[in-house]
Amino acid sequence: MTSLSEKLLQVFEEPACGKNLAKADKERKQGCTKQLSPGAAAGGCAFDGAKIALQPITDVAHLVHGPIACEGHSWDNRHSLSSGATTYRTGFTTDISELDIVYGAEKRLYKAVKEIIEKYDPPAVFVYQTCVTALIGDDIEVVCKAASSKFGKPVIPVNAPGFAGVKNLGNKLGGEALLDYVIGTQTPPFTTPYDINIIGEFNLSGELWQVKPLLDAMGVRVLACISGDARYAEVAYSHHARATMMVCSKAMINVARKMEERYGIPFFEGSFYGIGDMSDSLRQIARLLVERGAPDDILARTERLIASEEARAWARIEPYKQRLRGRKVLLITGGVKSWSVVAALQEAGMEIVGTSVKKSTKEDKDRIKELMGDEAHMIEDMTPREMYKMLKEARADIMLSGGRSQFVALKAKMPWLDINQERHYAYAGYEGMVSLVHEIDKTLSNPVWDHVRARPPWDPPNTAA
Amino acid sequence: MTQSADKVLDHFELFRQPEYKEMLENKRKNFENPLPAEEVERVREWTKTADYREKNFAREGLTVNPAKACQPLGAVFAAVGFEGTLPFVHGSQGCVAYYRSHFSRHFKEPTSCVSSSMTEDAAVFGGLNNMVDGLANSYALYKPKMIAVSTTCMAEVIGDDLNAFIKTSKEKGSVPQEFDVPFAHTPAFVGSHITGYDNVMKGILEHFWNGKAGTAPKLERAPNGKINFIGGFDGYTVGNLREIKRIFNLMQVEHTILGDTSDVWDTPTDGQFRMYDGGTTLEEAANAIHAKATISMQQYCTEKTLKLVAEQGQEVLAFNHPVGVAATDKFLMEIARISGKEIPDDLARERGRLVDAIADSSSHIHGKKFAIYGDPDLCLGLAGFLLELGAEPTHVLATNGNKEWATRVQALLDSSPFGKNCHVYAGKDLWHMRSLLFTEPVDFLIGNTYGKYLERDTGTPLIRIGFPVFDRHHHHRYPVWGYQGGMNVLVRILDKIFDEIDSHSNIPAKNDFSFDIIR
Repeated sequence: MTSLSEKLLQVFEEPACGKNLAKADKERKQGCTKQLSPGAAAGGCAFDGAKIALQPITDVAHLVHGPIACEGHSWDNRHSLSSGATTYRTGFTTDISELDIVYGAEKRLYKAVKEIIEKYDPPAVFVYQTCVTALIGDDIEVVCKAASSKFGKPVIPVNAPGFAGVKNLGNKLGGEALLDYVIGTQTPPFTTPYDINIIGEFNLSGELWQVKPLLDAMGVRVLACISGDARYAEVAYSHHARATMMVCSKAMINVARKMEERYGIPFFEGSFYGIGDMSDSLRQIARLLVERGAPDDILARTERLIASEEARAWARIEPYKQRLRGRKVLLITGGVKSWSVVAALQEAGMEIVGTSVKKSTKEDKDRIKELMGDEAHMIEDMTPREMYKMLKEARADIMLSGGRSQFVALKAKMPWLDINQERHYAYAGYEGMVSLVHEIDKTLSNPVWDHVRARPPWDPPNTAA
Repeated sequence: MTQSADKVLDHFELFRQPEYKEMLENKRKNFENPLPAEEVERVREWTKTADYREKNFAREGLTVNPAKACQPLGAVFAAVGFEGTLPFVHGSQGCVAYYRSHFSRHFKEPTSCVSSSMTEDAAVFGGLNNMVDGLANSYALYKPKMIAVSTTCMAEVIGDDLNAFIKTSKEKGSVPQEFDVPFAHTPAFVGSHITGYDNVMKGILEHFWNGKAGTAPKLERAPNGKINFIGGFDGYTVGNLREIKRIFNLMQVEHTILGDTSDVWDTPTDGQFRMYDGGTTLEEAANAIHAKATISMQQYCTEKTLKLVAEQGQEVLAFNHPVGVAATDKFLMEIARISGKEIPDDLARERGRLVDAIADSSSHIHGKKFAIYGDPDLCLGLAGFLLELGAEPTHVLATNGNKEWATRVQALLDSSPFGKNCHVYAGKDLWHMRSLLFTEPVDFLIGNTYGKYLERDTGTPLIRIGFPVFDRHHHHRYPVWGYQGGMNVLVRILDKIFDEIDSHSNIPAKNDFSFDIIR
């Protein structure tokens, strides 16, 4: 059992992380905890990161050991969809009180695990550490071990208290919990040469389901998706896959890398966003599988599929291209790879006036430069005030961003479309790109923007701002 | 038997018991000479077709499920908006019971109103005696400050002359000579409730301005800076008039609400029965002649009234039930122009909030198709708002709309790309709407409570906006005018949209993949 500090060190030094690779030795030692600046509004904590990385595993109970705040705010709010079990949507927490803080809450945690197993009988219970329970010294690893042997059921400690660091770090710590306790513990009923893992895809708004039919058509089986629409058993036997596609590299690169190290499963980084990127990803999957010994007729099959799907998508985007050509987009994304969205929007004939690179690696930035030219307006971290200023000046027609920027965009009179985690439409795959273009077109043509941009008619000068 | 004295089942449960199910089934089989189920099903399906729609729209004699009420209902609405005024309907008393229950069911408040209770002999010999006795009794019993007389069809068919009857009644001492008894002829076989509103509003103003039926000198207009405001027949009158007063006060505009029903249909429960509460005072009604201008919120409710007002030399201005940002802008700017007052920052901020709210939710309404029915002005106001939201008012129908109204709606639809495939239907009823909903389906239906039958038949979710709303409580307390009113309409529409998403994704283990916390 490794301590939290050792674990953090490992994750900090993740060798496959693009950002780390680019660092000098000394810098790398400092790890990837970007110094948080107290007082500046910032993103989520490590607990949140671990929770969102693992919560999409649908059939297990996710038990948050801490005061009500942690589960209260993270309970089922990510649009991560399930095709079967819904246990993951039930909010389980120990909801600790003042007395627990004085006397310790390990017993309460143990009882909570017991009650979950008695009443819900899930294939596993995931127990999440939080700031408060970590501070008072509750050892969730010991409790989980005891519960596991007592009830004969996996009880997985996820040791990522909020104070450990930022959300992204929590994603990785969540991945570590899978590596330590879940992956490699079961055997699949059967395997095929076409089995892959998809890591870092969370099936938000059902995006995985827009991609899966394409994989089916190629004859590829998703052995496990970590963690969108996943079942516990799938994750547990995912080490039998032949290849891995890494979707959101920032979240769970450590899982892909360590699975390569431990089980020899090669991985590539790909994206489901954008027509070109989608096709590249399918090609890469086919290539890796053939390299691992799959019959090579899959290559031709994949090319045929790509040709017909691309043609179909282009034909469906065509009517919009006329309407969208030359419209200017400002892109503020969080987790989604911004370069892949840039490519997608350019495919639709739009012009990108700026894109955020807050969570991008050097490689990502290079690709953006490649796509947008050196003039690329890359935006690092940004306060709402700066964002407001930028929006007012950017002369863009629309901003694509996550939900939290929406409200700033509106005040700056900027049409806005949600492309982040809480979006309501799925934008992955060829289908998703058609949807994205459709939504952009819808947003741009909504009559409310006339009101948004204009001053009240009695309030001259009535100029569009 | 299922039914027993120990546990009496009510209508929800009783006929669902096996004995009753069996009995009803046997009755149907043995005594009702039923058509085969397939035949019933065939016809049911046929009524959903374009073929049936064609026959439905060729209807000439029959109206099925009309979306309008009668003149006297509107007459009572207008009358109760004046201080201490008792509406007195000359005609059969059954009609009056209808008006009272109609309003009570909508506003959840009593509505004071009396009838001259004409019977068969009155029909033969004329209703003079009923008028004489009726005025005397209601004056003595209910101590009103004014009695506003309107008519039902019965009095109109036999041709009773209200002017002469009231004069005679006063001569016979039913009420004092100087007591105010304005009147209007309001036959149900002409127009609809909005016509009745117009006639009584005009009758009352004419009474005060035109020498009180010869009992006083005519008023000479001495123009002042005030603005008169008429809301028209409006199911949201309680919330709306309070909102309008708030807006006028914010703008510091001196105003008179003519027909202020906001208090009479919203009296507090504090141990005191208020037969009359609030309302435009009789003095204000008389002095309204001196105002600078009169504004009607609903053109088709006030056509004759505004003509009368214009003849006095005032500026008159009619809106069509303005809902939303642009419509409210226009309303406020006219008020500002006429009064010379500025629109205060408070209202500009309310405007900004409504714009903000619309933008926040625009993707959910954008491109959704709506069918609207209701009074002509309401239809215009809502259609305008839907276009502003980027929605499509696919069918716009008013049973009491005329050709001129249809032209206005068409012009509105033509003004926006979102109105492209939308159509207007004047003089059609809810059975026409049923065909429209089957042959050209929409996402949502906006209408009054009677729309629930259409919702059940066609599966089109109903957003209740209109009059009457009997089966949901207290909607009338929330304004639909002003920016805050626009917000209420927006929220009502959005709530239904989200309810629909939820109800299509809430069966466990069947379709709850998308049953989400955040929408």
